[in-house]
Amino acid sequence: MTWVNHPNPALAVLIAAVLAPIVTVIVGYWEPRRVSLVAIATTAVAFGASVWGAWRGDAGYSFHWIDTWGVRFEISLDGLAAMYAMLATGIGLLVVLYASGYMPLHRSHTGQRAIEDVRFYAFLLMFMAAMVGLVMSQDLILLFVFWDLTAIASFFLIGYDSDLEESRDAAMMALLVTGISAVGVLIGALLLWTEYRTFSLPLIFEAAAPDPTVTWAVALILFGALAKSAQFPLHFWLPRAMAAPTPVSAYLHSAAMVAAGVFLIGRIYPLVALDDRITNALIVIGGASMVVGGLVALTRDVLKQVLAYSTISQYGYVVVMFGIGGTYGVAGATFYVIAHALAKSALFMTAGAVTESTHSNTLSEVGGLWRREPLLAVGSAMASAGMMALPLTIGFFKDELFFASSDTRGGWMQVFAILGAALSFAYIGRFWKEIFLGPEKGDHAPVPGRLNVPILTLGLLVVAGGIWVEPFRDVAERAASVSFGAELPIELAYHLDTRAENLMALAVYVLGILIVVTEPWWRQALFTFVSIGERIGPARLYYLAVKAANNLSTSIHDFEVRDLRSRIATILIPAGVLVLLAVIVTPTDGTFIIGDVDKGDLPVILMVVAATVSGVVVTLPRDHLRLALTLSCVGYSLAVVYAFLGSPDVALVAVLIETIFAVVFIGMLVLIPGAILRYERTLRPARFRVGRDAVIATIAGSVAFFVVWSALSRPSASTTVIEEQSKLAPIAHGYDIVTVILADFRGFDTMGEITVVAIAFLGIISLMRVGRLR
Amino acid sequence: MTTELVRLVARILLMPTFMVAFGVMIKGYADVGDGFSAGVIAALGVALQIMAFGTKDLNRMAIVRLAPRGTFLGLFIALLTVFVPAIRGQALFTHWPPPGEEVIHFGTLELITAVAFDVGVFLVVFGFGVGVISSIARAQARLVSARERAQRLVDQGAKTGRAR
Repeated sequence: MTWVNHPNPALAVLIAAVLAPIVTVIVGYWEPRRVSLVAIATTAVAFGASVWGAWRGDAGYSFHWIDTWGVRFEISLDGLAAMYAMLATGIGLLVVLYASGYMPLHRSHTGQRAIEDVRFYAFLLMFMAAMVGLVMSQDLILLFVFWDLTAIASFFLIGYDSDLEESRDAAMMALLVTGISAVGVLIGALLLWTEYRTFSLPLIFEAAAPDPTVTWAVALILFGALAKSAQFPLHFWLPRAMAAPTPVSAYLHSAAMVAAGVFLIGRIYPLVALDDRITNALIVIGGASMVVGGLVALTRDVLKQVLAYSTISQYGYVVVMFGIGGTYGVAGATFYVIAHALAKSALFMTAGAVTESTHSNTLSEVGGLWRREPLLAVGSAMASAGMMALPLTIGFFKDELFFASSDTRGGWMQVFAILGAALSFAYIGRFWKEIFLGPEKGDHAPVPGRLNVPILTLGLLVVAGGIWVEPFRDVAERAASVSFGAELPIELAYHLDTRAENLMALAVYVLGILIVVTEPWWRQALFTFVSIGERIGPARLYYLAVKAANNLSTSIHDFEVRDLRSRIATILIPAGVLVLLAVIVTPTDGTFIIGDVDKGDLPVILMVVAATVSGVVVTLPRDHLRLALTLSCVGYSLAVVYAFLGSPDVALVAVLIETIFAVVFIGMLVLIPGAILRYERTLRPARFRVGRDAVIATIAGSVAFFVVWSALSRPSASTTVIEEQSKLAPIAHGYDIVTVILADFRGFDTMGEITVVAIAFLGIISLMRVGRLR
Repeated sequence: MTTELVRLVARILLMPTFMVAFGVMIKGYADVGDGFSAGVIAALGVALQIMAFGTKDLNRMAIVRLAPRGTFLGLFIALLTVFVPAIRGQALFTHWPPPGEEVIHFGTLELITAVAFDVGVFLVVFGFGVGVISSIARAQARLVSARERAQRLVDQGAKTGRAR
């Protein structure tokens, strides 16, 4: 067993992560009270596997997946994957720990049963597994599959409280924004395939060269990535996603979902760096998100909303740094993700703990909490300090790298960086100050230890990173080297001198304090600005689009289900129009040939005329019996046509079908009360409906006519197939070509058809015996 | 109620119908017809019985009870011919005997798996036809007896009303 002796780290990490939700679900439904324990244990195993895998170093695993498309199941635990896997599982572990204390409280508000926790942990861990798979994927199709899995899991997590309309709306919005944009990732992958004939990222990077197709592909993939990272103008789903239970927000919006977006930028960075237009666009979008997120965060009162907009703004930094690029940019972006994930998840957890403790969720209703909850205050103070980039926290280094990278672009970029950092200093400072300082407000229940422990752990990590940054730096260094495509050493240290980074940091602190202190002056103006944005912003466009799509769907549905006629019309009109377009577009040379007619064809022509006449006559009778019999007439005349054309098999089937159809039809008529039949006979349709139906019938009929005509005008292809099959029939021990086709050559079709017959039979029997027709 | 003549003809025709259906099925691989046509022919034979004799004796006819269940037996047989080759490591739907090998004949009937598949098709179609027609017939019978019951109640009501 070489596998046991030499386990493959990449595979081991993936298996550990995938097992977590599976084991949790199985044990959870069996023993619901233990579900949180199992979730903690399985997540701990996944985290352990990630750390071990990262320590073991680069490892890959791959096998053929979809051979015909050249898709491989190719995973690799390189530096970038190791970093994100450790974040996803490590923060995941703390979030699950936090959830084990939080979910019982949450249930007591919503009245959910304990068994529903299983669903919660299942989707949370499914998200974790998808995230781990995503970061290890080296194949674009595999990556897309995991990418969409995260979207699906996030839908269920955000909409966890499914009886609240707000949650359902938010879940749908997140799914639509991140799911539709994910199609960009897929199209981008396909475009790259057309250029390089492979989905494998390492091979693509090897061959990468500036090219318009590649630029388009990268732009489309980045569209998906930026929507996932909630970047302006597709940021609006994130604040609404705060309807989810707090552990979900703490996970999705720090280390997982939004991080997936910037991960993807880091993953395909060698392609991103090929085109200046792409990197410039990243700077613009990231900068806009920084400013919009930061400004709105300053105006928010609801705790989680402050953090939501702060996340938009913080990931804006990361995107800007990727846009600036170069050694500092890539290193800074990568390191920033670690620092942000640690601090932001702690702050989300703080918001949840504060709300559970004080029963209020706005900054204006809480205050002075540090005396009552000193542990919480210390834990979140450390995390806040990290976000505010104070010295002795890991956050100081994230801003140091940010400033250093802005330095490479000089001038206005530095000013912009200072402004952005000052904004984040201000809103996080305001967040912590309003909660923990000032006069005590509102009621208070002690925060359970299980909520405090993860927050304190994260806070301590943030501070530890400020004092002993080397382990974090090493992880980021390896990850950034993968993105950069070359060794990328990151230098992080405190320097007590007047270099640009230090001066900029000082400026940020001063400016940040100024912003907080001068709140009364700018407050009104900013609120006006933000409310204008809400009125005409992209969220409004989203709602208008959803509403329009909804209306369209409703009107089509209403038309379709009105009666049998409209049901048929909804099939015939689109089919007719589409085929008509195809007929118009295809070149008509030799498509429509009028063949020769001789005396021998007379019987056939006569029968076709008979069929046509009965087809027209079908529209005339008003009573049902005559209608059924005329319909049979059409079928019988066609059967005779088949017989004349030398296909006795088809003719036999047609006769038999018409007969049994007539029997069943008349039998059903007997079941309809006579009064209804008599009443329906007296009905006359409105004139406009007759006209409309005639138009529909004409479109459908003439299109069918042209299609059949063109098919018959080109006998060459079909005759060769028939000749081929006639030749093969004796080899298949058959002499009746039709039966051989049915039972052998096209046997799968027949199999499908008789399966449908059997299913329809079940449906008919249950309707007739126990259902509404009884 | 049907006339004596119709009933006589219906009774006489039942067995020949089945014979024709059987013939159409087993000759299908060499001549006109196949399991599908055979299924419809046989079902029409049963339908004729139901139309001639009504529903009273319906449940006494074993064929009417068994044929609908045969639908799923037929589906099973067809699925066997699809999946058994997979067990032998061949592609799905590989018929036996393979091309070029000798086939055992009984007249025009060939003993090959394609014909077994066709028998499955026959059973599905036959069961479907008999099942649908007999269901309709039963529903009609229920309707008729409900109408008669209602009529009796009305008559009784009229009588007692008059008596008062």
